[in-house]
Amino acid sequence: MAPKLPPQHPLQHSTTAAADGQADHAHHASPKGIMRWLLTTNHKEIGSLYLIFSLIMFFIGGIFALVVRAELFQPGLQLIEPEFFNQMTTMHGLIMVFAAVMPAFTGLANWMIPLQIGAPDMALPRLNNFSFWLLPVAFTLLLSTLFMPGGGPNFGWTFYAPLSTTYAPPSTTFFILALHIAGVSSILGAINIVATILNMRAPGMRMMDMPLFVWTWLITAFLLIAVMPVLAGVITMMLMDINFGTSFFDAAGGGDPVLFQHLFWFFGHPEVYIMILPAFGIVSAIIPTFARKRLFGYASMVYATAAIALLSFLVWAHHMFVVGLPLAAELFFMYSTMLIAVPTGVKVFNWVTTLFRGSISFEPPMLFALAFVVLFTIGGFSGLMLAIAPADFQYHDTYFVVAHFHYVLVPGAIFAIMAGVYYWLPKWTGHYPHERLAQCHFWCSIVGVNLTFFPMHFAGLAGMPRRIPDYALQFADFNLVSSIGAFFFGISQLIFVLVIVLCVRGGRKAPAQAWEGAEDLEWSVPSPAPLHTFETPPVFHRSHHGD
Amino acid sequence: MWSIIQSVLAALIGVQKDRKRQQDFASEKPLGFIVAAILVTLIFVLILILVANIAAG
Amino acid sequence: MRSLWQWLLPTCVIAGANQAQANGWNMPVGVTDISRDIYGLHMTIFWVCVAIGLLVFGVMFYSLFRYRHSKGAKAAEFHEHTSVEVLWTAIPVLILVGMAVPATATLKNMYDTSEADLDVMIIGQQWRWRYEYLGEDVAFNSNMSTPWEQIRGEAARGEHYLLEVDEPLVLPINRKIRFLMTSDDVIHSWWVPDLAVKQDTIPGFINENWVQINEPGIYRGQCAELCGVNHGFMPIVVHAVEEDEFEIWLAERKEAAEQEAMGVDREWELDELMARGEPVYRAICASCHQAEGQGAPPAFPALANNAQLIDDLDWHIDRIVNGVSGTAMPAFRSTLNPVEIAAVVTYTRNAWGGDTGDAVQPASIAEKIVQ
Ligand code: HEM
Ligand SMILES: [Cu+2]
Ligand SMILES: [Cu+2]
Repeated sequence: MAPKLPPQHPLQHSTTAAADGQADHAHHASPKGIMRWLLTTNHKEIGSLYLIFSLIMFFIGGIFALVVRAELFQPGLQLIEPEFFNQMTTMHGLIMVFAAVMPAFTGLANWMIPLQIGAPDMALPRLNNFSFWLLPVAFTLLLSTLFMPGGGPNFGWTFYAPLSTTYAPPSTTFFILALHIAGVSSILGAINIVATILNMRAPGMRMMDMPLFVWTWLITAFLLIAVMPVLAGVITMMLMDINFGTSFFDAAGGGDPVLFQHLFWFFGHPEVYIMILPAFGIVSAIIPTFARKRLFGYASMVYATAAIALLSFLVWAHHMFVVGLPLAAELFFMYSTMLIAVPTGVKVFNWVTTLFRGSISFEPPMLFALAFVVLFTIGGFSGLMLAIAPADFQYHDTYFVVAHFHYVLVPGAIFAIMAGVYYWLPKWTGHYPHERLAQCHFWCSIVGVNLTFFPMHFAGLAGMPRRIPDYALQFADFNLVSSIGAFFFGISQLIFVLVIVLCVRGGRKAPAQAWEGAEDLEWSVPSPAPLHTFETPPVFHRSHHGD
Repeated sequence: MWSIIQSVLAALIGVQKDRKRQQDFASEKPLGFIVAAILVTLIFVLILILVANIAAG
Repeated sequence: MRSLWQWLLPTCVIAGANQAQANGWNMPVGVTDISRDIYGLHMTIFWVCVAIGLLVFGVMFYSLFRYRHSKGAKAAEFHEHTSVEVLWTAIPVLILVGMAVPATATLKNMYDTSEADLDVMIIGQQWRWRYEYLGEDVAFNSNMSTPWEQIRGEAARGEHYLLEVDEPLVLPINRKIRFLMTSDDVIHSWWVPDLAVKQDTIPGFINENWVQINEPGIYRGQCAELCGVNHGFMPIVVHAVEEDEFEIWLAERKEAAEQEAMGVDREWELDELMARGEPVYRAICASCHQAEGQGAPPAFPALANNAQLIDDLDWHIDRIVNGVSGTAMPAFRSTLNPVEIAAVVTYTRNAWGGDTGDAVQPASIAEKIVQ
């Protein structure tokens, strides 16, 4: 697995990209315009493509969410029909998970992993190009289902059978195809990341010297390779049920609808870790930088992340506490869920202790990282409450669950992505992001996110089920606040776009080492990072993690 | 051997010393750790199944 | 950052102050022993989280304030401390074990469906509930009674908007009632917060759950699992009454059922059937095939001006009695009685300008059902 021969000559390893890139300068001009982006094998360009794609999808998914929130602004049906409402909630979930959050992390991995390990490019540059370009195909297809007769998917992002098979709209077959393509993209991307990390580290950089972002992505990539095929399997079974007369999930034909849920969540729970582990890595890079102090318990973090990845395969049925599992199974999944919450929680203690007796400054990346710690923890707390199986009989499928996973995903995963973007923008563009605007973006996001999602706890506890287009009058106040918050949050994200655009076009010049306390290898190359970096491998000094 | 199991158990509770980490990564052969981790996970599962069944009565 | 903190504190205080009864911010305490136990677990784990949160965020905000770079703070060097790490892992584990013990006990109690006094079958259907009192020959459908005018904002909304039904489930207090739960189509979930019962109803499976209600009253809930377009419109109302009151109610229902059964054998007039069919159509069929039979193609075909339906009476009856497998159209042979099927068939053949004049007789439907 780990290289027996340390990679002395990265030029040999990076087959086409780096080598071609060099040759190109001399001989013929590289393709211009659109072809440059279609054919690029450069990890930085592909990283940018991923990030831009994810940002666009973030806004599309966001608009769907705002349609939902607009309908829920007050009781009654005012704007849209229940059928379209269901399509909006479903598409929002699917787009945010598969087209916004996951590609954003892959984009960051593309940009930063080679820079952090001193590699000239990803190990498999052409595959890298292919993995990216599958995504626009997949999601154009998925979005196009909205215009098909019978409408798009309307069965929730968890697409429980038989609602998603026997009772599904005709476009479901396209939904399955789109998800298959996105899944292939994820698997290929993950393989590439594993290959890069294992084979292309700078001479002298051992596994144990890798920054936590690289570590968490390595483990995430293994999770992806393990579970995406399960997703592919379950949607293929749906495909067969819909089109070829099988009855995997159809009780009338001897099938089992609960089997669907077991398979889905066997993919689904590791999937939520796929969306949070790289976030842990980003936050673990940012907090030490701006606390000017080494990460507390780096070793513990690495080991715990590995353990979490394995154990995340043991808890899936905590999403199924009310489907009527046998008592012993309920207990098993309650205990395992509670136990896994501990190493997750301990990471929070590590970050807080890193802050303790540090020398702390509050640049925009740090603001987002700190907000991550607090708000992700709140999501962790509600997770802990959901883990108590008897109580979950009351929480399950209510807005309390919606509040939980939005706390871990929006101010969790998405804030970590934004923190990472602010942190690395100087490296990407050579300019610092506009500080005042970034702060403005931060404070608006904080207010918006809490205004949107905190009242959902109350609505859920008070008895509001999720995924309903209209609600009883006692839930009106919570929904009103949530909707106002959602629009505020959504509009605030335009500031984010503004900051990025301004930063690309100009701004205060950043030196190679853009942040005083930053230590990893990416800060040794100039800002902006030239198209080709580390063509000769850097000499890695064990300053930070090893000693 | 014992050292590997120790590390895997440490991972399970999520606490590890830096010195031990240095030792673990001194050799770049992960196979032992992978096997041990899977075994420990299996044992963990078995224990949990046992506990759940006893508790269920 | 401090404003975040100011956010959290009042939140905790509010949640605490709302410990009292169901006042709309917190989980209801409910009216069964189990609902009380669950409420207790919920509040315990909530306060545990508050305590841990205060501690962690306390240290965090203290550090942010005290060790500011701008105030000349110099970073310390330490970066690990195994015994502290072990300690802060062990303490949460112990707390969780402490939580797991009562949670296990409650769960075991919830799973103990033995020795019930009464069995009620709960069947989820798109989009209504069906209740069958097993061994009592009493069964009925329970549909949302909130008019669509209220939903569309064309009429003032009532107090129990969306949480009211035509026929509530009537249950006696102080008796152990076992629920057997299943579904005719997709997965639904029967949930009444005050009873702390939430259980998925799954086609092909029978789930069990139980209640013993301590106080008479009206308890409302909703379907909790996304089940299609009208998922938001399948409420549950439970009427918990004194035991003798329940016996009287049950006897009345049995008698009414017998009356209805006798109706099968007599000859019905067209007008009678139309009058009987219209409410059945509205309650059962209109959610898919729409109020004027116009349907919502391609999923839900139109019934008005449907040539095949008008031309072929047997085909028409077969669709309703046996459903159409592989589609959303269920078989109604066990959900509607012969009178209701005859009436609704008659209604769909004569309403909206169909005017076939067919008066389909319950007796003929009863024959088809037996086949
Ligand atoms: C402290 C750790 C956590 C625990 C104990 C926990 C526990 C749970 C439980 C028990 C549920 C099921 C609730 C129900 O449906 O009744 C749930 C739902 C969910 N959790 Fe977590 N969780 C934790 C952390 C996370 C993280 C880190 C993420 C993602 C970044 C996450 C994402 C989700 C999602 C997406 C759902 C709902 C999926 C759906 O039904 O649509 N959770 N969690
Ligand atoms: Cu989960
Ligand atoms: Cu339902």
